[in-house]
Amino acid sequence: MKFSLSGLAQTLSLALAAAVVPFAASAQADNGILVYNAQHASLTEGWAAGFTKETGIKVTVRKGSDTELANQIVQEGAASPADVFLTENSPAMGLVESAGLFAPLDAATLEQVPANFRPAHGRWTGIAARTTVFVYNKDKLKPEQLPKSMLDLADASWKGRWGAAPAGADFQAIVSALLELKGEAATAAWLKGLKQNATPFRGNSVVMKAVNTGQIDGGIIYHYYYFGDQAGTGENSKNVQLHYFKNEDPGAFVSISGGGVLASSKHKAQAQAFLKWITGKGGQGILRTGDSYEYAVGAGAASNPKLVPLAELQAPKVEPSKLNSKKVTDLMLQAGLL
Amino acid sequence: MQAAPEPSLSLAHAGAGHVARVAARRSSFSWAAALALGVTILALVPLGFILWVGFQTGWATASALIFRPRVGELLVNTSWLVVIVVPLCTLLALAMAWLTERSNLPGARWWSGLAAAPLAVPAFVHSYAWVSLIPSMHGLWAAVLVSVLAYFPFMYLPLAAALRRLDPAVEDTAASLGLTPWAVFRRVVLPQLRLPIWGGALLVGLHLLAEYGLFVMIRFDTFTTAIVDQFQSTFNGPAANMLAGVLVLCCFVLLGLEAGTRGRERYARVGTGAARMPTPAKLGKWTLLCLLLPAVTALLSLGVPLVTLGRWLIAGGLEVWRWNEILPTLGQTMFLAIGGALITVAAAVPMAWLSIRAPGRVQRVVEACNYMVGSLPGVVVALALVTITVRIAMPIYQTVVTIFLAYMMLFLPRALVSLRGGIAQAPVELEYAARSLGRTPAQALWAVTMRLAAPGAAAGVAMVALGITNELTATLLLAPNGTQTLATAFWSLTAEIDYMRAAPYAFLMVVLSLPLTWLLYAQSKKSAGR
Amino acid sequence: MSKFLEIQSVTKNYGAMRALGGVSLNVPAGSRTAIVGPSGSGKTTLLRIIAGFEVPDTGRVAMGGQVLAEGSNAVPAHRRGIGFVPQDGALFPHLNVAENIGFGLARNDPGRQQRIEELMDMVALDRVMLTRRPHELSGGQQQRVALARALAQRPKLMLLDEPFSALDTGLRAATRKAVAQLLTSAGITSILVTHDQAEALSFADQVAVMRAGLLAQVGPPAELYLRPVDAGTAGFLGEAVVLPAQLEGGWAECVLGRVPVNDKLRSGEANIMVRPEQLEWEDVAATAVGSQGDPACYGTVTDVDYGGPICGLTVHLKDADVDTAPLLVRSHGIQVPSVGATVRISVRGQAHVFAGT
Repeated sequence: MKFSLSGLAQTLSLALAAAVVPFAASAQADNGILVYNAQHASLTEGWAAGFTKETGIKVTVRKGSDTELANQIVQEGAASPADVFLTENSPAMGLVESAGLFAPLDAATLEQVPANFRPAHGRWTGIAARTTVFVYNKDKLKPEQLPKSMLDLADASWKGRWGAAPAGADFQAIVSALLELKGEAATAAWLKGLKQNATPFRGNSVVMKAVNTGQIDGGIIYHYYYFGDQAGTGENSKNVQLHYFKNEDPGAFVSISGGGVLASSKHKAQAQAFLKWITGKGGQGILRTGDSYEYAVGAGAASNPKLVPLAELQAPKVEPSKLNSKKVTDLMLQAGLL
Repeated sequence: MQAAPEPSLSLAHAGAGHVARVAARRSSFSWAAALALGVTILALVPLGFILWVGFQTGWATASALIFRPRVGELLVNTSWLVVIVVPLCTLLALAMAWLTERSNLPGARWWSGLAAAPLAVPAFVHSYAWVSLIPSMHGLWAAVLVSVLAYFPFMYLPLAAALRRLDPAVEDTAASLGLTPWAVFRRVVLPQLRLPIWGGALLVGLHLLAEYGLFVMIRFDTFTTAIVDQFQSTFNGPAANMLAGVLVLCCFVLLGLEAGTRGRERYARVGTGAARMPTPAKLGKWTLLCLLLPAVTALLSLGVPLVTLGRWLIAGGLEVWRWNEILPTLGQTMFLAIGGALITVAAAVPMAWLSIRAPGRVQRVVEACNYMVGSLPGVVVALALVTITVRIAMPIYQTVVTIFLAYMMLFLPRALVSLRGGIAQAPVELEYAARSLGRTPAQALWAVTMRLAAPGAAAGVAMVALGITNELTATLLLAPNGTQTLATAFWSLTAEIDYMRAAPYAFLMVVLSLPLTWLLYAQSKKSAGR
Repeated sequence: MSKFLEIQSVTKNYGAMRALGGVSLNVPAGSRTAIVGPSGSGKTTLLRIIAGFEVPDTGRVAMGGQVLAEGSNAVPAHRRGIGFVPQDGALFPHLNVAENIGFGLARNDPGRQQRIEELMDMVALDRVMLTRRPHELSGGQQQRVALARALAQRPKLMLLDEPFSALDTGLRAATRKAVAQLLTSAGITSILVTHDQAEALSFADQVAVMRAGLLAQVGPPAELYLRPVDAGTAGFLGEAVVLPAQLEGGWAECVLGRVPVNDKLRSGEANIMVRPEQLEWEDVAATAVGSQGDPACYGTVTDVDYGGPICGLTVHLKDADVDTAPLLVRSHGIQVPSVGATVRISVRGQAHVFAGT
């Protein structure tokens, strides 16, 4: 094989140039904001597009997961380039908040969100919500056989019949609500039951798919996976139904997705404007009309008509700022789930 | 060598010249040695930090984190996996190698190429294909099946090369001494294959320990999957680091086993002259049955992934080819792959230089350290780098620098192997000849050695670039936010079970891997001819 | 048992290539046979067929009355009990010397160790080498271990494939003699394959010359050397001076003058051969060259290749055509002519007539 060094060098520089272009393109514009986004990419991109259209402010999105981005912000501290942080669940917001890195939100923004969808201290707000559901296989479970409470799933009778995604931030948020509602001892016991009875999967969609194929009878996931799949090809949800626990059961936990402005932000005004837009008619309207199928939390905002209305869900009351992710992972470690 | 000194030169002059020459050589080598040592110390940092974190967390916490049932579970899983997969791979590879190299199997050349081809499909794409086909596949036996199909080429290539290199006169002589063909295989052929068998077993074992994507999709928990889970939940908490420590211990056990059994044997052909080509064994009435083995293996290891990919691509149609997402991902992958490869090869140059021009004890120790670090799973190296950069080197945290560092540590051994071959092509005598013809030492180095070593260096760049393209775990943990490679894009799509949209990424990864696999295959055929 | 090994009309083809085209050979018991020929002549193929590593396409191989191969049926190699010493010894690299030699002996044989030591003595190797590995031995030592290994089986027939080619020249002759004596005193019939004609002539009782898959001539060494069947065989076994001549009643007229030949009956045109050592030279003054009709042969020395005991002179004959090849004359080294000197050439002994030419 003959290698001409100059030819190699030319090819390399072309490749490098071609590759650097996307980096350059994503570099922050001067009058724009940088959003650390743990929400589903399509939803945030919808929000960003709508916001830019209305205000002309550019939005650059960095993708990641709840815990990853929260920890990154905490590590970056005051030097963080992020302006806005959006999550899927509350515990990550709590992590950043306890490091004192959020700036107080504008009163106008906070007014747009009812008090039960945001923490009392006002340093971050809810931007969307999702409810815990028990997804089950229609053919394998009759309505009489469904569990009355999420706590029932730790019983021996449910051994090998259900599944969840314990390594994910979503499920850990559900467990954190359980911890807040029932205390450490009950949570530890339930996690033990989980370890014995449940099949672990990686990802809520995988859980739903497994229920769909009949591998397991049911699973604990968030609601929007079902609706999203139904709106698409439906191939992973043909045989499933959703069961809402209600009765303020821990299994009816509504997890609030959070949004906050970083205290270290250099574009505070624009960041605040973005959050105001998300919690206002524009952003919440996208929740109603778009394909994310998450709940809208804005005052007076209606959610997607296909969803069971929030008010009917009888969700337990949980103060979002109290959800402790570190304790949850410790408990899961002790239970042998991590 | 040096031009003959003129008769008028005194003896003292000639002596001084000699001393100066030796001193110059020593100084150039110590420069290479210093560089090599520097790279090695850098590479040892991950190991050091895992130990340091262990000390920091205190014995009580550390032992609570290590000696718990979950770790026992993972240890059992991982041990069963290694203990079952490695012998199965060996048997399969040995049978295939014997059939393609030593028998008159029809189409042996094609079967040989097909046996090496599964290397072009990344391991996690193998399991993606099987899980698409049979969604309920999970657990130990599913993991064993997919692992054997994905990793047996690692044993097939060296075994086939070794079988080609064996001296058939030895086997003929054994037959003349009264041994039946089976006894000849058992007592003469197999002992000579010990080196490639143990080397291949080590390679497969290390890959099993380091693999993440394959086992996640097939729902089988190993240390690496648990470490990544931990990282995603607790970030760089001590639990993750403790698991990494146990994983590193397992790697060292494997390394130790291989070094121990390898011994000091020299199995090169003894004597002069070229080895005769062996006469192929006639299969006769067994031919059809024997054809079944390579056919079924090719079907399962190549047919399943390619057909599944094809199915998803066709089902997705042109829609799934979202070029506005795929092109930047492709570009970023190539940037990371080529950039990382260049840095790794450059870092390997001092060590390769030393091992060819000035082998010695220091050089051997340095090489062994790098080999150990390169054997570590990507997740362990990434975790250590995250810990270090977060605590003491914030500016490079979550930047391209860190991920290039990780790639360098992981892929240095691969670059070393290719570079060494390249530099060995340019013996120092050629340089001296160039100098006697009027070139300065630097010019001689450039004109002669670099030119001759260039193909070796280019091969090293290609191999490392390929490794980076298919790398998943370290990239997942270390890539700057916003960077996506083909592997991580594929991964996030399959996590949403969006198998259709993931198919183009898998396809591109296979396409990028094909040239390298061909290169590996061609090189293994060439090396046997010597 | 005069005919111990019988090879009858053995042919072997590899695809379109003909390796052996019908070879017949008889090897008497206890004798040493050398099969000699250039590379590619098929001699190694013949050896491998005798050993059982290859199967002949047609023909018959029988040893001691037992048929080893007939047509395509063959006794496999591991049941023939024929010793085989390949080129370079081919020792098992993963075993030491003692294990190599004892490879074919039963593991639990009580006399095994003693037999191994006996064999080491037989091939004149120090017993201290028993624990060494093959790569720690020199080429000559490896060859002797290979011989000992084959002797351990007490074979009736021993096949040696160019066993001395890897040795230093000085060692070669001594080793060859020692091996020949060893084999004869043990009563083992042996067949040696070599491309070195000196080796073949000195080792064997019977020499077979192979060319292009066929046996050109088989016979005792002196017979082949002094009376080769054609120019090719003559040239292969040593330097030969081949000249066209007119034969008449036991004499030949050629450029060397009138030379006695060994065929009294033949007359007419033929090619004759003399070996360079048959040509004698005598220094003469340039003026002593006789006139036309002088039966003696004169020439000029154009080159002297001084070789110590034997030197080669290149002589251009006076009466020869310009394009006739010069003569090669052997001389002892005590007295050599100078270049340019005139010499008279005479022939000692008889010239040999090639049958059929």
